[in-house]
Amino acid sequence: MTALQAQAVSKHFGGIRALDQVSLTLRPGEVHGLIGPNGSGKTTMLNLLSGYYTKDEGVILLNSAPIDAASVRHRARLGIARTFQKPRLLETLSVLDNAMVGAWRDASSSFLSAALALPFVTRREAALRERARELVLGVGLGHAMHRRASLLEHAEQRFLEIARALAARPRFLLLDEPAGGLTVAEIGHLEAVVRTVRDAGIGVLLVEHHTDFVFRVCSVVTTLDRGRIIAQGTPDVVRNDAEVNRVYLGA
Amino acid sequence: MRRLAAGLAIAVALAALPSWATNQYQVHLATLIGVYWVLIAGLNLVVGYSGQLSIGHVGLLAIGAYVYAVLAGTWDWPPLLALAASGAAGGLCGLLLGLPSLRLPGFYFAMATLAFSLIVAELSLAMGSVTGGGTGLAVPGFPAPFDTPGGLYWLVLGIAGIVTLLTWNVASRMWGLALIAIRDSPVAASAAGISIFRAKLTVFVFSGVTAGLAGALFAALQSYITPDTFAFDIGLFFFVCIIIGGRGSILGPFLGTVVLTALPEVVAPLAKLGNFFYGALLLVVVLVIPEGIGHLVEIAAARIARRRRHESHVVQPDLPRLAAALARGPAA
Repeated sequence: MTALQAQAVSKHFGGIRALDQVSLTLRPGEVHGLIGPNGSGKTTMLNLLSGYYTKDEGVILLNSAPIDAASVRHRARLGIARTFQKPRLLETLSVLDNAMVGAWRDASSSFLSAALALPFVTRREAALRERARELVLGVGLGHAMHRRASLLEHAEQRFLEIARALAARPRFLLLDEPAGGLTVAEIGHLEAVVRTVRDAGIGVLLVEHHTDFVFRVCSVVTTLDRGRIIAQGTPDVVRNDAEVNRVYLGA
Repeated sequence: MRRLAAGLAIAVALAALPSWATNQYQVHLATLIGVYWVLIAGLNLVVGYSGQLSIGHVGLLAIGAYVYAVLAGTWDWPPLLALAASGAAGGLCGLLLGLPSLRLPGFYFAMATLAFSLIVAELSLAMGSVTGGGTGLAVPGFPAPFDTPGGLYWLVLGIAGIVTLLTWNVASRMWGLALIAIRDSPVAASAAGISIFRAKLTVFVFSGVTAGLAGALFAALQSYITPDTFAFDIGLFFFVCIIIGGRGSILGPFLGTVVLTALPEVVAPLAKLGNFFYGALLLVVVLVIPEGIGHLVEIAAARIARRRRHESHVVQPDLPRLAAALARGPAA
């Protein structure tokens, strides 16, 4: 099966069970929401899927093959890209160069061939730069193409992180609270971008607190509370779940 | 086109330096700057781009110098072959030093390079049968046409030009971006699939090669070397040239090298101050322009550009464009 899956995954930090027997499946062309109160294990799950943490129990599968042993770098090469809750941009570089870094895997040139400026390196990098440029324009940062990333405002940083992740041509994109700190209008733009990414066949995991946004854009929503799944299903099912309303939505 | 013309003009002016210099000392000084730059250009990829604080490259310089002096002097190798061997030895020692130390966090890595340069200094003193111990070694020069001060200058200029071109190619391509990513955000670098250790080791070995080459040229220029020639100060000096010049730039550290080498020689009172001068300059730069003198040029350029257009911060996605970009395969 083409999917990124967690099967009965657990993770402890000291005596605290951050995740307890959590399973979820992220399919291509689908937006999967991951919601829950602070400290419920959402970001821990994202870190397990992208390889920053290693699980204590359970298994992480990519297209049915276990990838627990794969490092962050290796998982990036397998097509798993992510953004960060606190944007991690390269502040001294331009917006375009930041997006370009995401295409490192496709550049795949040796140090020597770069130092000698071999024609194939120059040609390939020109094409990657053109694609990165289109992505920057696509996410709506054309106005800031050559601006230093340190001069960007918060929303711009969030969209640039998405452009950089997309430059890696991922099959699965993990977004860690992408709507954090955005205005209503900006969340609208984010939603449109997420839908476009989904329609391109990429599986999107959306860790998010803005539940309106999550219920609008996701086809599956998983709700965590203190490391355990309390509801999983379509937005309608989850929104009307009594337990979800009690611990999180507060209806 | 204008940049090419300017570069060409500078190259011609530099190549003609022996004919317009008013005395031999100026040629010597220009050669010394070139020799230092061969090392610093390589070290710049390590310190200025990948952010690894090596303060021990003087050890690699010494290794290159002794390899050249022994091979070309004691063993009578052709000097140009000995020069190549110095580069290879520098690269090999860079690999041996980098393998265990580049995984260490910044501070400990700096200490490892410091320890390395101290060990090299002690070994060069202790292995008297090879290195001449404290008495040192006479170093043969290069054959014609590089056997005059002007000739040696051209050899150094040529090598410095090639090394500059290589580092420029690296810095202006994906590799340069990857190194800066490693320096500023290892987390983002690994998320982009960059192999941090391999990339750091690669540029470190490259800097070892340029340090080895610089060592051979340095030895030939000095014509006599002793362990004192490679005092720890010089290693700090290389490091300071890059920091004062500015990280993530090639022009900045080049200016730093020129200014820091030439100023104490040209302005006699500064020479008396010795390391105090470097220390004071470093302090001023770190406090006033922490991004280095190279950054001043950028700031000026950005000021002028900013006056022309007004800054928008409105994100306005272009969805058809995004969809088209996502549909594109890997570049040819």
